[in-house]
Amino acid sequence: MNGGMMDESALVMESRFVDDGIARLVLEAPGIAAECRPGQFAMLEPSPGAFPVTRRPLTFSGCDRSAGTVSFLFDVVGKGTSLLSEASPGDRIRLLGPLGRGYDITPGRWLLIAGGMGAAGFPFLLSRTGGGLVLAGMRSSRGIGCLPAGSRLATEDGSAGVRGLVTDLLVDIDWDAFDSVAVCGPAPMMKAVVLAAPRSAAHRIQVSMESGMGCGWGVCGGCPVPSSGGGYLSCCRDGPVFRADCIDWERV
Amino acid sequence: MKAPGRPSIPASFWGIPIPGPVALASGTCGFGIELAEMNLLDDVAFVFSKAVTPEPRDGNEPPRIYDTGMGLLNSIGLANPGIEKVLSDVLPRAASIGRPLVINVAGATVEEFARTVSALEASGVHAGYEVNVSCPNVEAGGMAFGVDPSEVGRVTRAVRRETDRPFAVKLTPNGGDMVRAAQEAEAAGADAVTVCNTFLGMKIDWRTGTPVFRRGVAGYSSPALLPLVVAGVWQVSSAVGIPVIASGGVREASDVLELLSAGASLVQVGTGVLRRPSLPSEIAAGLRELLCED
Repeated sequence: MNGGMMDESALVMESRFVDDGIARLVLEAPGIAAECRPGQFAMLEPSPGAFPVTRRPLTFSGCDRSAGTVSFLFDVVGKGTSLLSEASPGDRIRLLGPLGRGYDITPGRWLLIAGGMGAAGFPFLLSRTGGGLVLAGMRSSRGIGCLPAGSRLATEDGSAGVRGLVTDLLVDIDWDAFDSVAVCGPAPMMKAVVLAAPRSAAHRIQVSMESGMGCGWGVCGGCPVPSSGGGYLSCCRDGPVFRADCIDWERV
Repeated sequence: MKAPGRPSIPASFWGIPIPGPVALASGTCGFGIELAEMNLLDDVAFVFSKAVTPEPRDGNEPPRIYDTGMGLLNSIGLANPGIEKVLSDVLPRAASIGRPLVINVAGATVEEFARTVSALEASGVHAGYEVNVSCPNVEAGGMAFGVDPSEVGRVTRAVRRETDRPFAVKLTPNGGDMVRAAQEAEAAGADAVTVCNTFLGMKIDWRTGTPVFRRGVAGYSSPALLPLVVAGVWQVSSAVGIPVIASGGVREASDVLELLSAGASLVQVGTGVLRRPSLPSEIAAGLRELLCED
């Protein structure tokens, strides 16, 4: 699955904070930009030095093939993402990708459901599906500027949209009106969404799982996702996008 | 103790010609199939496969890895498809990687090591074995085989009985005497020793007082550990006549030369390859540059 991956020394075109603790990077990586699909990811080297010893997996939030650029939107959560957020235009970042299996882009109406920065990949997905209804659940209004225009919003603190969780927005949803459903966010949020969906919709739901990763290209065994068939799937190679019924949600 | 010498670049190992001294460490390259697909094995001497056990193993519950910022903790749990699938599915695909393959084998008892090697003898794909004595010895209360030199000798003898192919014993730095373990392995018929497996480490979330990994401890690797491996290679190679394969902390060409100076005959790269799949080629270029300067 990752036979086509490239390791590009990408030029930083843009690096800025779009909100408190949320960074955006635009990198020139023409080889990867030509191949990447929504839901796939890249491994970014946070520093040219020895540390940290592993790269950081980030999903593509956008891709401009004609410009040869890809973009990323991410929460700064630790040392690796902090170093990446400090990159300046003109710097170079090693970028390994495209990695993993992305969304199966089928025709028809799309419903996209995000929790927090799970929405990072949705602009890219929407550019290929030709639109769709977006539901988003956030802790607060932090990060709502990253959401696609027209998103329906719930915030836990009630500072924007309705007060509550993204699952509260599902109450009004007619699942049969959508041909495909994409879900991305923290594991408990995705589990709640999948459990809230009618059984008949399970095979139409694609979930984008998150995991820490050692390599990102299928060899270290560090990113297990519980499989409904028993044992584990590999997040980086079998995913990160899975059909919801391939996952054993009891063990997530 | 012998004095470390000037490094010399080996042209062969176990009688097999090699393009350079760099090999891929077990657990960080699968069976070499992914890297072969990307044409990244040209500068690789040997591919050491991920560990194979008699039965399939799902591996440990997540999380399995944690990057401390200064090194990598892993608790994979010997996840592998077991001998049967390795023979029927994996080795036929690994036959075309174009580099000699060494299969890393693991077991919970001496009999399991012997059974794994005996079954794998049915394949002509691999050049030899690496025996992972860092796994828990069920017959000795779960303490790692490698901690007790006489147990290392027992495992080595059992493997020797099953195969005429060359094999290395991969030693553990945790709690035992690697020099004595290496001597036992040599006396029992091993063709090399690998110095060494990962170091025991632990990460605790002090806010909750709970370990990050379900098993508590994990294996730790980092370029910062290179001096520990240099010391181990020097001590072990001073004490045995069989080749020593260095493993741990390597990220650039000068690290490789240092380990060859310490007495290594082959140098594995592991965690560094997870980050840079092209690391063996980058090191090969670095070696050419450093050796030209002389």
